[in-house]
Amino acid sequence: MAQRAVWLISHEPGTPLCGTVRFSRRYPTVEKRAKVFNGTSYVPIPEDGPFLKALLFELRLLDDDKDFVASRDSCSHINKTSVYGLLVGGGELWPVVAFLKNNMIYACVPLVEQTLSPRPPLISISGISQSFELLFGIQDFLYLGQKNDTELNTKLNQLPDLLLQACPFGTLLDANLQNSLDSINFASVTHPQKQPAWKVGTYKGKPQVSISITEKVKSMQYDKQDIADTWQVVGAVTCKCDLEGIMPNVTISLSLPTNGSPLQDILVHPCVTSLDSAILTSSSIDAMDDSAFSGPYKFPFTPPLESFNLCYYTSQVPVPPILGFYQMKEEEIQVKITVNLKLHESVKNNFEFCEARIPFYNRGPITHVECKVSFGQLEVFREKSLLIWIIGQKFPKSMEISLSGTVTFGAKSHEKQPFDEICIGGTAYLKLHFRILDYTLTGCYADQHSVQVFASGKPKISTHRKLISSDYYIWNSKAPAPVTYGSLLL
Amino acid sequence: MGPLSREAWAQRLGAFRTSPSAFMASPEGEDLGRDLLSELRSEKLSEQAKVSLLALSLEYPAQLWPDAAAAEAAATSLLDTLVLLPPRPSALRRPLLLAATTALAAGDALGPTSGASRRLLPLLLGLASGRDLGRGFGPASEQRPLQATACECLRELESCKPGLLGGCLGLLRGLLGQEGPVQPLSLLLALALRNTLVIQARARAGLQGLLVAGDMPTAGGPWNWALAEEGDAHLQPQAPSWPAAEEEECGLAVLEPSPEEARELRAAVAQLLDSSYLLTPVAQAQLLWLLGWALRGLRGQPPVLFKPQLVRLLGTAQLTLLHALLALKAAFGEALFTAQDEALLLRRLTLAAQHPALPLPTHLFYLHCLLNFPENWPLGPTGEEAAPLLLGPRLCRGLLPSLLHDPMALLARLHLLCLLCAEDEEKEEKGQDWSPRQYLEELLAGLRQRAALDAGPRALATLCFQASYLVVHCLATQPAVLTPLTHGLARLYRARPALAPHFVDLLDRVGPELGEPLRAVLRQEVVSRPGRDEALRWHLQILAKVADGNTPSATLGFLRAAAAHCTDWGLQQALLQVCRALLRAGVGEGLADLLQALARQLEDPDGRDHARLYYILLAHLAGPKLGVALGPSLAAPALTSSLVAENQGFAAVLMVQEAPAPIRLSVGPRQAVGTVPVLRLHVEVLEPVYSLELRFRVEGQLYAPLGAIHVPCLLPGRPCPPLLLPLQPRRPAPTQLGVRALYATPAGLTCHAHLPPLPVNFADLFLPFPQAPDGDKRGFFEELWDSCLPKGTESRLWCPLGPQGLEALVSCHLEPFVVVAQPPTSYHVAIRLPPDSRLLLRLEAAQADGVPVALRTDDWAVLPLAGDYLRGLSAAV
Repeated sequence: MAQRAVWLISHEPGTPLCGTVRFSRRYPTVEKRAKVFNGTSYVPIPEDGPFLKALLFELRLLDDDKDFVASRDSCSHINKTSVYGLLVGGGELWPVVAFLKNNMIYACVPLVEQTLSPRPPLISISGISQSFELLFGIQDFLYLGQKNDTELNTKLNQLPDLLLQACPFGTLLDANLQNSLDSINFASVTHPQKQPAWKVGTYKGKPQVSISITEKVKSMQYDKQDIADTWQVVGAVTCKCDLEGIMPNVTISLSLPTNGSPLQDILVHPCVTSLDSAILTSSSIDAMDDSAFSGPYKFPFTPPLESFNLCYYTSQVPVPPILGFYQMKEEEIQVKITVNLKLHESVKNNFEFCEARIPFYNRGPITHVECKVSFGQLEVFREKSLLIWIIGQKFPKSMEISLSGTVTFGAKSHEKQPFDEICIGGTAYLKLHFRILDYTLTGCYADQHSVQVFASGKPKISTHRKLISSDYYIWNSKAPAPVTYGSLLL
Repeated sequence: MGPLSREAWAQRLGAFRTSPSAFMASPEGEDLGRDLLSELRSEKLSEQAKVSLLALSLEYPAQLWPDAAAAEAAATSLLDTLVLLPPRPSALRRPLLLAATTALAAGDALGPTSGASRRLLPLLLGLASGRDLGRGFGPASEQRPLQATACECLRELESCKPGLLGGCLGLLRGLLGQEGPVQPLSLLLALALRNTLVIQARARAGLQGLLVAGDMPTAGGPWNWALAEEGDAHLQPQAPSWPAAEEEECGLAVLEPSPEEARELRAAVAQLLDSSYLLTPVAQAQLLWLLGWALRGLRGQPPVLFKPQLVRLLGTAQLTLLHALLALKAAFGEALFTAQDEALLLRRLTLAAQHPALPLPTHLFYLHCLLNFPENWPLGPTGEEAAPLLLGPRLCRGLLPSLLHDPMALLARLHLLCLLCAEDEEKEEKGQDWSPRQYLEELLAGLRQRAALDAGPRALATLCFQASYLVVHCLATQPAVLTPLTHGLARLYRARPALAPHFVDLLDRVGPELGEPLRAVLRQEVVSRPGRDEALRWHLQILAKVADGNTPSATLGFLRAAAAHCTDWGLQQALLQVCRALLRAGVGEGLADLLQALARQLEDPDGRDHARLYYILLAHLAGPKLGVALGPSLAAPALTSSLVAENQGFAAVLMVQEAPAPIRLSVGPRQAVGTVPVLRLHVEVLEPVYSLELRFRVEGQLYAPLGAIHVPCLLPGRPCPPLLLPLQPRRPAPTQLGVRALYATPAGLTCHAHLPPLPVNFADLFLPFPQAPDGDKRGFFEELWDSCLPKGTESRLWCPLGPQGLEALVSCHLEPFVVVAQPPTSYHVAIRLPPDSRLLLRLEAAQADGVPVALRTDDWAVLPLAGDYLRGLSAAV
């Protein structure tokens, strides 16, 4: 269970190599073992240059996908996981765990403690999950709170030292690199016994506990007879516990109002010490009924120093917060659109912001717009072929608003106008973006009085809630739209 | 090289990192390892700069110190540097320990004979156990981090040399119980415990109290290498291969600890598990893999020890923890997971595979885990991806693909959907809900629509074809799926012929279930739209793949129409590729006309040559031979002359290959009849040959050129009548015949072989005279006898006789030529020697050991040959 090497590569389309190795680290003692374990199927770790080239090719990130290349485009070359085989130096380096996020490619090669031919299934390779944790850890370290390139460079420069702490010999000790950074800084503190490895020091100061619940609501609305609309709430509970003592115990209870929607698919942070079986088994896979467990959801845990996600959940609320339809008809160079949105009466009508984005893909630039909105303002981004309907902070009393009119387009030129592989012909969507503070769609809340803290001093407890839209689509009901299997089960 | 500044070092290290091999090959690379070690003690360089030098040595020890001796020396030097550090806090101690460990482990230097190992190991163990090593090892504040580092170093050494710490188990347990840092000690103990168990099991020894012996190896005393030596031959996987594989090989099953040992072992494992919550999640996962591996198959160690951890692990979404849980599941199966537990685990895995809070790579890995789920009672064949039995359609609902998914997610989910469709078919359609198959069809149609987009990136097209391939792969037996797929693909081709390379690739990879109908519809699609358009080259590429003996007239019609538009070299070659395909398929009628027309009409000389070549092949080679000559099909011709490229393909077939002789020839007993001498050749067949042609060449000009012998087929083990080779001597003289064989192999190659030369003896030329008409044989002979002189010559010689006497000699060698016989003492022999010589013998008054022979011939040159022949006869009897 170890890594042979790890790389960070920035993806730079348009440059000759299309990328640069920003960081790499090899583990020679692990490599030594790989040679023994892999036997004749052993392929050594290449130098950075050849690795970069092979990886970008395999990930289709070189700028040359004009021609059909069998080793990449063949129909039998199927990748169903983020694990690749790279052709380097006459052999195939496998398994290479790699993914692209924010223009950065994260890659590493785990040790496989057996022969590679035939390839063992990934599930049998212990190093695979460790590879993912290492890469996720690096990703979190680089991007959490990072604002610009200078900060990114600073963090990249810290990586060699951090990995010397967190992964000195290729075996990952802690995926939380911020911890390793702190442990370098905390080095002079004497550690008492039974200090958890995931908690570098102890907090000194005023005790306080902060809990925030963020719900994201997704929706796919079709306004069609034979296709069901879908929507789902995804919640994340984030905690920051500033408490004295080595192992303070905290229990947080999440509660629902009487008509609240039960929480399902609950995943908890590893610091949670025990879980009620009702929490473990409450799942969106099952048909909902009235007997569903509706809380309170108790989470006893020993908090780490840093802010962490105590749990994630999903929920199926009875109605979407905003229900709407979008009708678009093509008439030669112009399209005729009608949009109607209705806020459900149970939803708090007090937005931080609310807007509807109506993009027009695979068309020319907008040349003319003739639209009427019953409420709010309409902004036109001609070159981007985009309309933004700014609804603002509140829906009107009627809770219902509409937009209708025509949009005319100029000639299509491939370089500038947005391409989309879904929105072909009449297939089109509008996407809602909104945020409501101090509100959750499920009704879920953390009662200050229900928070139990077993530590010295009475902590100050603060709670926050918000609802954010995420992937909230309303599809043109006058044309085919992509559906999920769930939408077909009316 | 003298001392370098910090900047110079940074530059040097940068150059090294860019390409270590290139740097080490340059003159600069020679001293890098040595310079690095000496620079560590330089007072000019900052600590930070030294740390970066050490970091390099952690990554590239093999380049810096390429052999064991150099590694040993480097480790010694690093240890010297370490002890020479002043007692104040230093950032160098930790990397120095890591570097010395790396140098020894990666450089193959670790062992009882290595001085550096003998220094490093006690030092590490001393640090790990928190002993006071004196002021040289830094201030107290550094002890704790150094203790953890020492544990890590020991663990790496134990990984590379299993059994190294077998003697320290008791000590490590003791430390874990006291104030030691929990995580490094736990992981070290778990690894050492697991390795010891494996080695002892292989040696069929028990734990021998290793777990309780708490003694420290005495400082400076000898290290116990016994277990490491035993373990040395078998580097141990830290994680088991999946699932419970190689039970025998790992040998764990044979270890049966005594009750006391079992209790100690249980206590040690429980101790590790109980404090595991203090470990980081990734370390917890390692601990579980190690302990699961250690206890698997160990008698008297029920895995219930793990049970208290399971619920906690099931609740998290942490990838490593869930993965470790699956490892435990695979290792212990029903012993640890009841059917209900299994169902719960599967549900958690299913929801984790689609949970919106988790990133895509995690989803994909969990999907993989679902299709490779270690079931308690698996039904299907092992090693194949399959949906677990408990994962019914209901559980899968959220895991089905949609067009909105990322390509990898789409393919992974599509695989699941295909598995569902396969099951669905077995269960018969229920008719209510949308059936998975209908959904599959819609999805594929959507993918094709996207692939048809003109401006779309190639990845979209690739995805469409990958999905089609996956579906065919899983559902090849379902015509209800394949038929719409076939027609959908045909429509896709109509919409975007530029996808031709993808179609060709797909046809190459799928079986006949889709391949056959797809070929037919694509052929139809192409030939039904003749004429000139920009898609012509794609049409020709497709036709070259799909053209066969079916509806050749339509294909030829298309080609005739297309020929006029094939103005450039590339198009002409594409056109000729189609002709080639037709040629292979055995289409003759009409094709010859087309090829002739092309040979005249094409603008490019290369194209004309090519067409002519094909025409010649078509006109001269029979069907099967043509097929072999043209196959296997070539890739698109290279940019040089396509004739050259073509030649590479079938030159081998059209050219005659030199080969070892497939048959053996020998000259059989002659039958002196007729008007010319005829050799009877016996054939021994070594390999099957077809269309054999034997060619003979006479050395010198003694005989007229010999005709070839043709044999249609020779097979080993099948009797072959003798081959008759008529000779036409110009002079009656013996000679040798050179023999060559030209033949076809069963593979269709034409081969050529030289056979050993065949001797033609003087006697092989003998022919009898036609019998005298009136029976006056004596008179006939005398007439011949007299006619030899005066032109010829007469001679007498003594012919020795063997024990059988004259009668046997005559009957054996001269029987057909005897004119007058008075057995057993007198014979008159007349031999005709073609072309027109004669040899007359009188063998009279034979004695016991020989017979005097009077001999006449009309040809002087025959005399010595006849003499030799007669003298040699007795020996030949």
